[in-house]
Amino acid sequence: MIRHIMREWRFLLGQNNLVILLCLCCALSSFAIYSGHQEITAQHFTIERLQLAQQQDQEDILAKYKTPGSLAYYQFHLTYQTPSNLSFAALGERDLYPWKHRIRMLALEGQIYESDVANPELAYIGKFDFSFLISVLAPLFVILMLHDIVANERSNGRYELLVVTASGSIVLWGYKTLVRFLMLSLSMLVPFYVGAALNDVPLHDVFYVSILVLAYLAFWAVLTLWFGRHSIFAPRIAATLIGFWVAVTCVIPITGNVLIEKNIEVPKGSEILLLQRETVNQAWDIPAETSLTEFIKTHPEYEAYAEMSEGFHWKWYYAFQQLGDEAVAHLAFDYRNAIQTKFDLGNYIAMFSPPVLMQRQLSRMAQTDAISALRYEQSIRDFHQALRLYYYPYLFELHSFDESALAEMPQYQDFARL
Amino acid sequence: MKHNAPQSSISIDAQQLVVNLNNKTILNNLSFQVASGEVYALLGGNGAGKSTALKTLLGFHKPVSGQAVIGGLPVSSSFSAIRKKIAYLPENASLYPHLNAFENIEYFLSLAAVHKTHAEIKMSLQQVNLQQDAWKQPLSKFSKGMRQKTAIALALLRDSPILLLDEPTSGLDPVAIDEFNLLIMSLAKQGAAILMVTHDVYGACQVAQRIGLLRDGRLVGEFIADGEDQIDTEQVHKAFTAGVID
Repeated sequence: MIRHIMREWRFLLGQNNLVILLCLCCALSSFAIYSGHQEITAQHFTIERLQLAQQQDQEDILAKYKTPGSLAYYQFHLTYQTPSNLSFAALGERDLYPWKHRIRMLALEGQIYESDVANPELAYIGKFDFSFLISVLAPLFVILMLHDIVANERSNGRYELLVVTASGSIVLWGYKTLVRFLMLSLSMLVPFYVGAALNDVPLHDVFYVSILVLAYLAFWAVLTLWFGRHSIFAPRIAATLIGFWVAVTCVIPITGNVLIEKNIEVPKGSEILLLQRETVNQAWDIPAETSLTEFIKTHPEYEAYAEMSEGFHWKWYYAFQQLGDEAVAHLAFDYRNAIQTKFDLGNYIAMFSPPVLMQRQLSRMAQTDAISALRYEQSIRDFHQALRLYYYPYLFELHSFDESALAEMPQYQDFARL
Repeated sequence: MKHNAPQSSISIDAQQLVVNLNNKTILNNLSFQVASGEVYALLGGNGAGKSTALKTLLGFHKPVSGQAVIGGLPVSSSFSAIRKKIAYLPENASLYPHLNAFENIEYFLSLAAVHKTHAEIKMSLQQVNLQQDAWKQPLSKFSKGMRQKTAIALALLRDSPILLLDEPTSGLDPVAIDEFNLLIMSLAKQGAAILMVTHDVYGACQVAQRIGLLRDGRLVGEFIADGEDQIDTEQVHKAFTAGVID
């Protein structure tokens, strides 16, 4: 076996066009890994920079504001979704969905969807990462490397001589295919392994990605060999396979996406933001008791503290902030539900589009898909809720607010999850 | 006037082969036999069915009736066993242009699981008179004759008891043709069964003990050498051009 592999390896090295193709593939993979690593390094750097700024900001705020109401108003809390070790290989939708927010204890939903007023479709251009290379471009390389293995011999008049001379089909076609397949796979995987080492990716993840990539490339290899097994004309085989590639990489996903977009209505982030602001602003124009009565429905434990003895009180202010969130709760739910539904429907489309399936698998593993973004959003809500529950006793029951109280303030890190 | 080879030593046996390609009958009840130690030339003009006959014996075309037997094994069911026994020389030996003669031979021998030393390969290249300074040049720089010589060297290195040759002297200069013919006769003397398809009447008469004349997929005549004498070229030429067989 080694003898046959070495023979085909030497043979491959003598074919300049294939060597150039492998070098190009390796260069593209290296670039994809490099740009992914740069992007993730930049995100880590941004998080570190924000943490430092946050720390400085906290010290200033805590020195300046001593009452719970004003502290809750002026204090920003940094939330972020730390990129996973594997995210350098699959940036996924981290450029579409926000992965960092600085929030206050005001109405939350508007703060989450504030960035959604920008046109998210601009982010559709995406970034050139390893998952794009593997799922979209790698099939083309497989087709180029393997489509003419038999046809080239037929068109050059060597087929009969080869078949009669070789001791078996495996010796003749099997090892040639195996060597080309392995070299192509390695040209893409070796840069990934370097990236994985730089990003401390656990070995089991590296192993799983390798298996996934090899299985995906093997699918295209089998398809290419199946199409090319009888035809004499290599261009015809290549044209047929590229036609199939266009269908599963472009036509099916685009058609599916159009159908999903047409049928699944997603509330706009700007709608949520607007409705919430209107609700909050209206609260200034209606009697405070109305807002507090509404608030007490969800927090009956503060009924005894709901009376207003002065024109302004922080408890009223934060009560109507919460009412702002409640007013848009259905829209925010619909938003999340629509994202989840679109994601689920996308899974069905992926069953007919191997490139989409591959890309989704990698971004799922890297936790950079829409589901991860929703989980991050939920972690912000959980944290914000904890913050409210922390402040409300100080705002309504007027507990003393001292150093020991500050030490018990919830921290986002306890809620962060991937 | 059909002459059968001695039954005990038949290496190639075409038994009433009928082959249709694209709804056209190319071989029509073709039967002939080649014994060990014999050179048999299948002679015919363009479109007579020579190459189809050879490709049927190699298993690339399936006969609708009749059968081809090589080395005692039917081609239709035992091709993998048969290919170990045969060497094939195509008309246009398209070896790999990016490899040199040496590398081409090594590559093909490796596919055939035949191990030959460098000295044996050199000897074979010398045997076919391929200039030594060309051995390390890529075949893209070779003339047709040089490529053919390389393929002949490869066929010789297979040490096969059965040789199937498709227009083997095509592209060779007259000196090389004479050398090749001597080589073929020497191999036959060593016991090889050699089938060559050709339209070269002179070359066929020079080397073959028997010549089968093929026309429209049928064997229309067979000529046999008388002892050590060659087959009469004039007689074969007359039959080949006139299409009249006594």
